[in-house]
This record gives sequence, structure tokens and C-alpha cells, in this order.
Amino acid sequence: MKPAPFAYEAPTTVSEAVDCLASHGEEAKVLAGGQSLVPVLALRLARYEALVDLNRVGELDYVRREGSTMVIGAMTRQATIERDPTLRAAIPVLREATRLIGHPQIRNRGTLGGSVAHGDPAAEYPAVALATDATITVIGPAGPRIIEAADLYDGPMSTTLAEDEILTAVAFPVWCPGSGFAVREMARREGDFATVGVIAGVTLADDRISRAALALFGVGATPMRFRQLEGELLGADFLAVDPTDFGETLAQRLDPPNDVHASTAYRTRVAARLVAEALDAALDTARQETTS
Amino acid sequence: MTGHGRFVEDVVWPDTWHVAFLRSPVARGRIVGLDVEAARALDGVRVVLTAAELNPLVRSWWQTAVGPDAPQPPRRLLAAEDVRWVGEPIAMVLATSRYVAEDALELIELDVEEQPPVIADHLDRWKVEGEVGLVHPELGTNVAAQVPSPDRGMPMGNAALDDVLGTAPHVFDETFHQHRYLCVPMEARGILARWDPYRGRMEIVAATQGAHEVRASTARLLGIDETQVHASAEDVGGGFGQKMYMSTEDHCVVAAAYREECAVRWIEDRNENLVAGGHARTEDMRLQVATDETGRILGIKAHHVEDVGAFPTPGVGSNAKLAAAYLPGPYDIGQYFFSGVATYSNTNGKCAYRGPWMMETVAREQMMDIVAVELGIDPLEFRRHNMITSDRLPFTTSSGMVYETVTPRETLDQVAELIDYEGFRAEQAAARADGRLLGIGLAAYIEGSPGFGVLGAEQVSLRIDYDGKVLASTGSGSHGQSVETTVAQVVADSLGVDYEDVRVVQNDTAASPFGSGTGGSRTAAVFGGAARLAGEKLRRKVLRVAAVALEADPEDLELDLGVVRVKGAPAVALPMAQVAAMAYAGHAAFPPDLEPGLEAAHRIKAPTFMFSNAAHAAVVEVDPGTGQVRVLRYAVSEDCGNMINPMVVEGQIAGGVVQGIGGVFYEHFVYDSTGNPLTTTFMDYLLPTAADVPEIVYGHVVTPSTTPGGFKPVGEGGAIVSPPALINAVRDALRPFGARLTAQPLTPAVLLDIIEGNTR
Repeated sequence: MKPAPFAYEAPTTVSEAVDCLASHGEEAKVLAGGQSLVPVLALRLARYEALVDLNRVGELDYVRREGSTMVIGAMTRQATIERDPTLRAAIPVLREATRLIGHPQIRNRGTLGGSVAHGDPAAEYPAVALATDATITVIGPAGPRIIEAADLYDGPMSTTLAEDEILTAVAFPVWCPGSGFAVREMARREGDFATVGVIAGVTLADDRISRAALALFGVGATPMRFRQLEGELLGADFLAVDPTDFGETLAQRLDPPNDVHASTAYRTRVAARLVAEALDAALDTARQETTS
Repeated sequence: MTGHGRFVEDVVWPDTWHVAFLRSPVARGRIVGLDVEAARALDGVRVVLTAAELNPLVRSWWQTAVGPDAPQPPRRLLAAEDVRWVGEPIAMVLATSRYVAEDALELIELDVEEQPPVIADHLDRWKVEGEVGLVHPELGTNVAAQVPSPDRGMPMGNAALDDVLGTAPHVFDETFHQHRYLCVPMEARGILARWDPYRGRMEIVAATQGAHEVRASTARLLGIDETQVHASAEDVGGGFGQKMYMSTEDHCVVAAAYREECAVRWIEDRNENLVAGGHARTEDMRLQVATDETGRILGIKAHHVEDVGAFPTPGVGSNAKLAAAYLPGPYDIGQYFFSGVATYSNTNGKCAYRGPWMMETVAREQMMDIVAVELGIDPLEFRRHNMITSDRLPFTTSSGMVYETVTPRETLDQVAELIDYEGFRAEQAAARADGRLLGIGLAAYIEGSPGFGVLGAEQVSLRIDYDGKVLASTGSGSHGQSVETTVAQVVADSLGVDYEDVRVVQNDTAASPFGSGTGGSRTAAVFGGAARLAGEKLRRKVLRVAAVALEADPEDLELDLGVVRVKGAPAVALPMAQVAAMAYAGHAAFPPDLEPGLEAAHRIKAPTFMFSNAAHAAVVEVDPGTGQVRVLRYAVSEDCGNMINPMVVEGQIAGGVVQGIGGVFYEHFVYDSTGNPLTTTFMDYLLPTAADVPEIVYGHVVTPSTTPGGFKPVGEGGAIVSPPALINAVRDALRPFGARLTAQPLTPAVLLDIIEGNTR
């Protein structure tokens, strides 16, 4: 469990990092918190000629409000996100999901950008980005560009970033008052990647659903949204929604993986329940928000 | 917790060569190509050793506990013409660093022609003969061991039992499965070895449970004298049986050091430890139980099937004989017969794992619950009905074990109280009304500890040198059991010195007396007992020397906290340093029969078996939506005799219970049908974490044993009896769904299937 030889670059600015990455071409990999990449290197399941370490790039470590979004720098540690009071008020689902990532030691090192760029299909942050309609800023030799969360993943641990691009920030829209989110996750143990995970978000206006989002993780090659089913919720009186039914309907559209932790059938059954629970809880929260 | 431990990886010899092994990627096959030239040519590589270089060095290969004549699998250092399990070492790189060594591995060209392996899946396994082939063609059979042994004149049946099974009012028949789960020591294996050809001396530092076994195995392997080998250990981060005997890789390291006349270092990584460190469990047991109308057990017939992998250790890896001895446990079971077969497979070999024979308790205690429920008797009452009570001691069990001081009924009653067994049924009913699934499980056992053979003759040597402090040397090999603390406590008490003035030296063949290390739950009884008697001997010696100085009768003196005083005249005091100075330098005044110096040793002769007992109780909740289990409460009542240190006792129990929680709910080493391991990192081989473990409530019943100090075994019990307690609790929680539940692990998927009626 020792990595194959690699060159190591430790730039201190984003522009240096972009140059480093460009100079090594396709054989380089960006290192953020290292919580997924380093074990993979040590097991020699992957190898790169060079690592471009972003840990000294201070300008990527920030949390700030920009209009109706919260923008978080890629190198912001998960532990920072967990504790940030502004984020907690503006994007409560982010904190709720963060607490399900690994253990405190992992969250002290792990970063938002690393998790989103790595794109583990069972990880929390990619699903949060997808559920909240976040946008991802990346930068390469040609300059910055924005990717919608929905367009970020094209396969398991595979993104639409170019080889020479670096993920620099994620902007999470602050949903309007009257919104509620809930995260439900089944993992074999506290802190494990999700066997099945669900994020539900709704906005209520006059007791009717005006916005809805459902993102599942751990059940496919990428985190998944269910826009057609979400659409069926729009305009509905929240009292008329049957979360259990909804969960069953959604689960029928899944074809989750089969592995040593859980079978396809198990994941499907649990997904139905977690969707129901998450939707129910999100509706509850939204209703409390509107009445408070 | 100070972070100051020093483990084998912390030992740095500047001139060592680092080892990485090329391991077999297939379970069974012929090696048709092995080209190591490119690896040999890599910068930083000293040598790449294959079977051709290394295997001819082997002179003999056996473990002290089984002896030279016991059957062994056809062991080899490196796979020669064929491979027999995924992970089997084929070649060994010695390089300037582990990084370079792993780079070199990638340059080795290996070509294996695959053959169908002898593999059994979790529940449909152990097709013993014929269909697919032989694990070891040399043996002509896949049977590693059988009890009773047909060629040793043992009775092959029990006619009286067959009669009981044929005529009893009730007969129950159930087969229990136990999956493959592992020791997983916190520190993986590791060894440094240096052969010095000029002094003819092998120096070894190893992560081991017993340095003397390392010395002996090395000497046997290479055909040198044990006195040419100096083996020692630093702190050892757990072993649980895996480090009781030298592994194949350990043997390769000493052989490489010997051949290359250099220093060699192998520090195993976690991936290797999971795949190639000794494996465990992996067995079935069928029980047929007959009872009378009142629920009194009339007889038990047991059949045990073990998968011992390809190269188990020690011997052929079967634990059936101990399982047979211990199966009656705390009960009067009437007529009894036990048979067993151990079979080789193309998987990693079995090693000892905390209570290696524990299938007897896992099966028996589940059966107790199943039979009780079938008979309409509460499981607690059913156990009480059949349990041996103190007034029947000494009691000879149906397997011939003689219990003298056990208290199974007392611990069972105590644990029932600790878990609030009486109140639970109401709690359970209320929870069920809320849609919650709660269950309670009990399990009881007698923990046997071997005192036969080399395991039953252990020594503690005490020395007080010039400054009056005490050095205690033992043949133990603490790897996390706090032996440094407990032996010091016993010595301090029996000798009459302050605990802080006793230092324990162990696991070093040059500094400690010959011993078999730490394992088998014997340490308190054998090393503690020896420490007590050695302390008493040295105390008498101290008093005799002090008597010369004080011109008094030794009978009139007392020794307490390192100071000798005249009884009734406390002003007259002689500190230990003065007694020591007198003993070594003032001997001119000694009478002729008083030997100078302050030394004493005692080698204990242990009983063939030593016993303790305990009962565990668990309350669990099963989530009806996901099948996940939470252990809500856990209680233990145990009688390990006099406790040297209750914190250490409870620590031993807690560690074992956590391993039981892991084994029942999380840990499963999975091979696919081709013998390829699927759970090779901690991402897939799931250990319980602190968040998955409940607070454990302890109760103690203290009934001293008849051995010196009154100590009894305690090290393995937690891991032996927690699995059935937990399984029984889940079975109780799922009783409305009619679950048989005779195989683990009890994963959420398995339990959800039961809850939803998808399986039985």
C-alpha cells in the first residue's frame, strides 16, 4: 500500500495551480483533502505522474454570500462548513448532510471541492449540489466557466471537467422562505458512504408546493434527480401529498447497484422508505417555516 | 492514552532491506511463467527471491503447542509450481524501501494457468471430495482432520445417545452457520530479522504474542539452535490469536535474512492483513437435542464442519477437539456425542481467533433459545432448569471436564437482573404497539483455558538488584492485556513492595524465562499464579536477609511497601535498598545456608483445564424500515475468580463483546465463487466503530479458583458468548416474523427480508 512514484507540485495561487496542471497534461491529478485520492493511490488502483496539491492555495478557502447564493471555495474544509453559522442559516441542508460525511477526523481534512470533483455516487455533497440547483465554477487555461450541478457528472467518479480544469467554488442558491429540506441516509455504520441516501427539498406557498427537488445517492452511477416526479408535486396541496406512495413510485424507477453491502432489491426497498421519510420531513419543515 | 507506544514499525535498523511479497492473484492454478529479471534490475532492489532460492532452506516447520509429530498441511515458504489461495506468497522483493519493493512487484511477470478452486460459498460450502479437485494433491484428500479419529480406536458413536434421540418426548435438530470473520489486530503483522554470520546469531524483533515461539520456529526452520536466536517484541497492538505462531511471511523473512546475511524488515499493510493474515471462524454445527416432557435435556449430538483454508496454523487448524470438550458448557446435558470434520479449501488458512472453538457456544446457546421457545418455556427458565448448580460441584460434564468452582447459575441470575429481564417483556410489548421491534437475548458459557502441555508450565522470575527495585521477568507476551500492570500488582502484593517499584519484562528470549506467550486466557491464572508464588518466595528471602541485619528471627519481621519492620516495633525499619545491599555485599555475615542475592523464581504447574463462567444479555432494536440493528443495552455477569484489576477484566470483556458485535452484524470476509476476495479494505470489511457499540454494564461474581491467587481465565469469553447473545436478541425481536436466523452476518438486508416475509 505505497503509491507509485509521482511528481508533487504545491502551488500557492489558483493561477499557478492552473499552470501546473496544464504543464503536466492528462497525467496530473488535483489533490484536495486527499480522503479518497490518497487511499486509491496507496492501493495503486490509480496512478498519476504528478499531483497538484491545492492545500496551500488560501484563496480557495472561503464562505461568502453573493446575492441570493452562498458561494463556498473549493478548499473549504467540511468541518468549516459544518460549523459556519451563516451557512447553517442559509443552507441548512448542507450542514445536515455534512454531518453524515465520515468522522470528525475526515471532515477536518476533507473539502467541499474535493468531494464534489471526486463525484463518488454514494457521497453527500454531489447530491446536495444537485438537489439545491447549485452551480460549480471551474477554471482552466481558457479561463473560468460555470457548470450546472445537473451537468457535472457523466458517470461514476467522472465529471465534465476538462483534464486541465480545476473546480474552484460551488454556489448554493438560498431557497426562498417557506422552504424545507431533509436528508435521510442509510449506511451500514455511522460515517460510511450511503447505501441509500435521499435529499428532499420543497417550497410551500399558501400551503401549495411551488418548488420541489429530490436527489438520491448511492443508487446509481451518479447522484440522480427525479424532475418528472418533482413536477407532479408542483401545485399540490401539501396535505394531499402521500409521501409513502411517492416513495414507492420513485423506487420503481431505480435500478441500484448490487454489491457486498446491499443488493439491488434491498436498496430499492430502502429507497422507497427514505424518500417517503425525507419528503415528509421536508414538507414538515417547510410548513413550520411558513407558519413561523 | 499517551501516544508513547513503540511498535515493531517504530524499530528502525538503518541497514534493513524492506520486503514486499508478490501474492497469488488466483485461488488455484499452475505457475507456468515467473520472470523476475526486470524486478531484480530495478534500482534499489537487492534481490528477488522465489521458491527456488528460499524453499530449500527449510529444515522443519511445526508449532510448539502441537509438537513435531502433529499433522501439518504441506507447507512451503513460497509457492513453487502451483498456487493454492489468493494471497499466497510467490516471490519476495528486498529493496531499499517498501515503495521501491512495490514498484519492483509490478515488474514481475507471472503467468498462472487457472484451475477450478475448492471454494465454498457462505451457505452451500464444503463439498469435501472429488468434484473439483484437491487443495493439496500431496495429501490425496481435502479432509484435514476428523474427530473422533477413525484410526485411533476412539468410539465412533454413543449408542445410549442414539437411544435417547430415538425415544425422547422431544427432539430438536438445527444447523448453525458461522461466516468468515477475522482477528483484525489494530497493528498488522511485522517482523525484523538480522542474521549475523560471524556470531552465528539471528536477531529478531517481531509483533508477536510469544517471543519464545518465534525463536523456536526460526531455529526449527533453519536448523540452528534456539540459543542462536534472540527474539523480542516491542509493544504489540493486539493479536487475538493471529500472532500466536509465526506465519508463512514471518518464516520467509527469517529465511531471507539467513540466506542474504543481512537485515530484513516486513511491515504488513492492512490490505495484506485482511487478505493474508490468518482467517477465522467459517464453520457449521449441527445439533440434535433431546428433552423430556419438563424440558430437561437428555442428550446432545453435535456435528462440526470447519473450513480451515489452505495453510492453517497451528497444525491443521481444527478446533474440534476443544469444541467437543467445551460444548456441554454450564449444563447437565446427559448423553453426548461429538463428531467433526475439518476440510481444506483454496482460501486463506485459519488461525487462532479469540475463543477458536467458540462455535460450540454459538450453536448451543442459540439452540437453548430455539428449544425453549418450541417447548413454550422462557429461555431464562429453560437455562436455569438445565444449569449446573453450585451444590453439585465438583461436577463432571458429559465430555469429562471437571468443574470445581464455577457459578453459572449465579452469573445467569445476576445478568438477568442487570438487563431487567423481568421488566423487558412489558417494554417489548409497548414498543411493538408503537411499531418498534425490540428483542432480548441471553447466552451463558463456561470459559475453558488450557493448562496442558507447554501451556501449563509458566514461570515468573523476580530480581531485586542494588537499588531495591523489583524486576519481574515472565514468559508472557502482552499484546494489549495490561500484563505489565497485573503481574506487577500481584508481585507487589505477594512480595510486599510498592506497585511502582515493580517493573515487568516479557516477550524477550534473552531477558525472560522460557514461556509460551500470552494466549488461551491463561495469563492471570498461570503467570499471575507464578508471580504470586515467586513473590512469596522472594519475600521469605528478603526477611531472612533482613533478619541477619536486624539480628532478629525472620518470623518476627514483616515486609510492607518495601520496608522491613520488626513486628510490634515499627521504629526499627530497614528499607529494601539496604536489604539488597546486604544481600549482595554484606554476605560475609550470612549463615552458611543463606545464598547471597535477592532472586526467586517460580514455574507453575497448571491444572489441565481452568474454568470461569459468565452470562451475557443483550437488548436490541431492529429498524423495520431498513433492517438495521441497534444494541440498546448490554450486560455481562462473569466470575473470573479473584480479580487482579477489575478495569483490566472489564476491558477484556468489552473488547470481546465488540468483536462479537462486529462478527454478528458487520464483519464478513467474502470470497466469490472463484476464490477471489471481495472485502480487502476497511471500506468493505466493516468493523464496528465506537458509534456502533453500546455502553456495557458489568456485574461480578467472585468465586476463587483452587489455583494460586484464585484467578480464572477471562480473556476470550467476551468474544465467545456475545455472538449468541446478540443473535438470540435479534431472533427474539423478529419472532413475530418466524425467523430461523441460523446464519450470520445479520445484515440489514437479511433482516429486512425476514421482516418483509421474503425469506425464512
